[in-house]
Amino acid sequence: MSQKIHIPKIPHAFFKWYCKKDRYEELHGDLEEFFYERVAESGPVKARLLYWRDVMRCCQPYAWKKPQGRLNSNIVMLKNYFKTSLRSMVRNPLSSFINVFGLAVAIGVCIVVYSMVQFSYSTDQFHEHKNEVFLTTFEADRDGTSTRYGFTPTPLGELLAQDFAQITKMARIKDEAVVVKQGENVFHETIRFTDSDFLDMLSFPLKWGDKSSLNDPNSIILSSDMAIKYFGETEPLGEEVLVKFSEERKKVFKVAGVAEAFPGAHAISFDFLINFENLRQADPDFSATNWAAFVQATLIQVDQASAIASIAAGMEKYRVLQNEVDNEWKITGFGFEPIASLHENSSTISGDISSDQADEILIGLPIMGIFMLALACFNYMNMAIGSATKRLKEIGVRKVIGASRNKVIFQFLAENVFVTFFALILGLFLTSTLFLPWFSEIAGAQLSLSLLNTDLWSFLIGILLLTGLVSGFYPALYISGFQVVKIFKGTVKFGKKNPIMKTFLGVQMILAFVFITMAVMFKQNSDFQAKRPWGYNQNGVLYVGVPDESAYDQLLAAMEQNPNVESVSGSGDHLGKSISSAVVSFADRSYDVQRMLIHANYFETLGIPMASGAIFNDQPGATKQVVVNELFVKNTLLDEPIGHLFKIDSTQYQIIGVAKDFHAFNFYYPMKPMVFQAAAKADYRFISMRVTSGSELAVYEDLKENWANLFPESPFQGGEQIDLWAKFYADLAQMKRFTRTVAFIAIMLAALGLYGLVTLNVSGRIKEFSIRKILGAGLLNISRSIGRQYLLLMVVALLLGAPLAYIMNIGLVKMMFAYPLPHGHWSVALAFVLLVFVMLMVIATQIKKVSRSNPAKGLRAE
Amino acid sequence: MGRSHLGEFEELVLLTVGVLYDDAYAVAITKEIANQSGRSVAVSAVHKSLYRLEEKGMLKSRLGEAESKRGGKRKRLFNITPFGKKAIDESMDLRVHLRNQISDLAFNWQAD
Repeated sequence: MSQKIHIPKIPHAFFKWYCKKDRYEELHGDLEEFFYERVAESGPVKARLLYWRDVMRCCQPYAWKKPQGRLNSNIVMLKNYFKTSLRSMVRNPLSSFINVFGLAVAIGVCIVVYSMVQFSYSTDQFHEHKNEVFLTTFEADRDGTSTRYGFTPTPLGELLAQDFAQITKMARIKDEAVVVKQGENVFHETIRFTDSDFLDMLSFPLKWGDKSSLNDPNSIILSSDMAIKYFGETEPLGEEVLVKFSEERKKVFKVAGVAEAFPGAHAISFDFLINFENLRQADPDFSATNWAAFVQATLIQVDQASAIASIAAGMEKYRVLQNEVDNEWKITGFGFEPIASLHENSSTISGDISSDQADEILIGLPIMGIFMLALACFNYMNMAIGSATKRLKEIGVRKVIGASRNKVIFQFLAENVFVTFFALILGLFLTSTLFLPWFSEIAGAQLSLSLLNTDLWSFLIGILLLTGLVSGFYPALYISGFQVVKIFKGTVKFGKKNPIMKTFLGVQMILAFVFITMAVMFKQNSDFQAKRPWGYNQNGVLYVGVPDESAYDQLLAAMEQNPNVESVSGSGDHLGKSISSAVVSFADRSYDVQRMLIHANYFETLGIPMASGAIFNDQPGATKQVVVNELFVKNTLLDEPIGHLFKIDSTQYQIIGVAKDFHAFNFYYPMKPMVFQAAAKADYRFISMRVTSGSELAVYEDLKENWANLFPESPFQGGEQIDLWAKFYADLAQMKRFTRTVAFIAIMLAALGLYGLVTLNVSGRIKEFSIRKILGAGLLNISRSIGRQYLLLMVVALLLGAPLAYIMNIGLVKMMFAYPLPHGHWSVALAFVLLVFVMLMVIATQIKKVSRSNPAKGLRAE
Repeated sequence: MGRSHLGEFEELVLLTVGVLYDDAYAVAITKEIANQSGRSVAVSAVHKSLYRLEEKGMLKSRLGEAESKRGGKRKRLFNITPFGKKAIDESMDLRVHLRNQISDLAFNWQAD
């Protein structure tokens, strides 16, 4: 027997770890005996291996340590807590339902808020080079304020790539509206001209095909959505699509790539990608060296993110170059924005390729989430203290048997975390089935709950512990503080004077006030917005988009046959569809305004009223005359607008008329100064028609039929003017529903909180009321003695709540709507009445109960 | 009734404990079963059966002497209890009884 061979350490340690102490000697003795024998027989290597195997095989229940000792009693107690909390939940189904449901709703709201905020902050963060790829921007001074723009002069990209060694890749982006035809499918689409580096700079992996095909001017790359739209699920590589840049200019492209579906949180995307050089075919006037023409975006990628500072310092010469060419619209400097922060800052960059979430969602919703959670927590606290009356004996017995105060506190906290856990499950369920789809619709973002996301789990655990401990801590402290003797003697003074509970209730009422005001104010605001006139008569107006002049002529001729068409107008822009912009220059200053290129008939057809002056006629030569709107006059501070001169693109125009202001956009946006110019007939892209009232549908059918006969190959894009705003009205209605639901939940929670508190108070004073009644107290007396202590609370809550509710809600409405309802305080008053009514009802139920109760029963105890 | 069922391997272990009277401990039992039945036996399986049989009351055990070949550790020696004997006997009886009930016809393969 060799003395040198020892038992291998690692498996031995493992064996020691799992093996029971009292069986270790005999069991390991057996293993050792085998080991030494095997060493002698077949050598140490095999013996060690077999020892390993034996240790693993012996790892069975007969050899294991049993969990024993100190852990045991805690587990037993936890089991007991679990059982008692289940029992007390079952015994008080109403209050447990209120607790669990209230918390669930609040937690659900918080989860939605979390996923929304997370969505916003993760937008466009999937790009591998997000810190090295920059969008080129420039600053320009307009109307006295400096604005940052996201588009760039066309030649800049190429010059940057030549002049700076740090720039490794560059991609210009230009989007154009085109018609895409593939087999029977014909649609209006937006196509993106870009350089071949685009797919290297931004991480849009391809499902099929090769990135480098973007080099080939005859190739086209489709997004996943577009591939499905045109080709279904089959692989479309090598298929041909026809792209019509205009009626005369078309080109056949070969599908050379299909992108993977974009991640949900993206702001930068594309439908079709083709090589930038195709612009030469699409647009005969295109010139890569024209500083007066712009591309949507110029992206550059630098070798190191820090290199951007030195590039930014060298941008001065381009500024000079740019301002020499376009001296009407001087820019003050160029800048860069990394892709990583582009989404966040998108609202400060005008006309960039990204976009961001509306502020009201990012600010308003988290506040709402916290308020809801607070409301539910306060409710829980009051309910927990209230229901403790029924569990006093239990607490007493626990204490007598030997539970320390800490144990009782622990019990109630554990119970609370347990209840919260239920609420969390229900909340998750509510979120995934109800809230998330709903909020997604409101926010217009594809939100999703990924249960694999570890951040989400830490958030959920965080919210579980926070809610559980915060809402449970005070009740636990309060309940555990009772003296056992007093509990059994029945002399616990309970809930008679408890300032903290009253504070909870007060805060709850304030929050409920805020939410009710919100509901009322949004309802009134929605009604106000719905009634708001658009400033022109959009009833009975039909519109249709046309591709070019000849199509305009043909369709016009066909539609003029229809006796129901009262007035027809062509236009280059159309309200609700497309409005262009222009820079107007006076002798000393420039303004950014909106511009509509129209036929003189447009005012009549759309019913835009004139304030003063005349409408330009459509005679040649009269095209230098323009109409402006009232806001234009107001902003430019013209005293005598008629006859005034200004320049657009170095051409002089004269104002001959002023139109009344009207809404060219929905009411989220303010009206803007506008110039109406006569359009050349070749620029007509829309036909608008006023039809006799009641015949809208018939004319619409006729229009569609004519279109199908004349242009079977082109998609029809037209409809009733009023339908252009259908989504806006649907939005308003949805907001109304949403705030109403929130307010309903809030008032329910607050009412239940009050109910719990009053019930508690009344049951603690049952003897007092009985004596009062015996001595002849009437309903009035009892009402007074119950109501007195809540009166002050309600007055304080309402006095604090009113201004808070007003400021918060009017702020929210003002943030969302350019023209909020003018008399917001009426909403507060209405909410006030509603809240007081509900609160009085709740108190009245208890007064009724007391006044009907038999005083003999109340006094019979002991 | 209290009559516990004996598993096949348990029965083997129980019998072997009897065979190895006074020197029946896990290693010896493992080797004995391996020798007599010709199958490979894991010591952990023997352990498991021994402790189970002791729990059922068919075996009793005591600690033996420390030995150097075991790294100075004592071994646990097992003995059959009367209840153990009864279990073996009942099991054997059952088998013999069943065996005797098989008619010769069942073994008459020539007829096929």
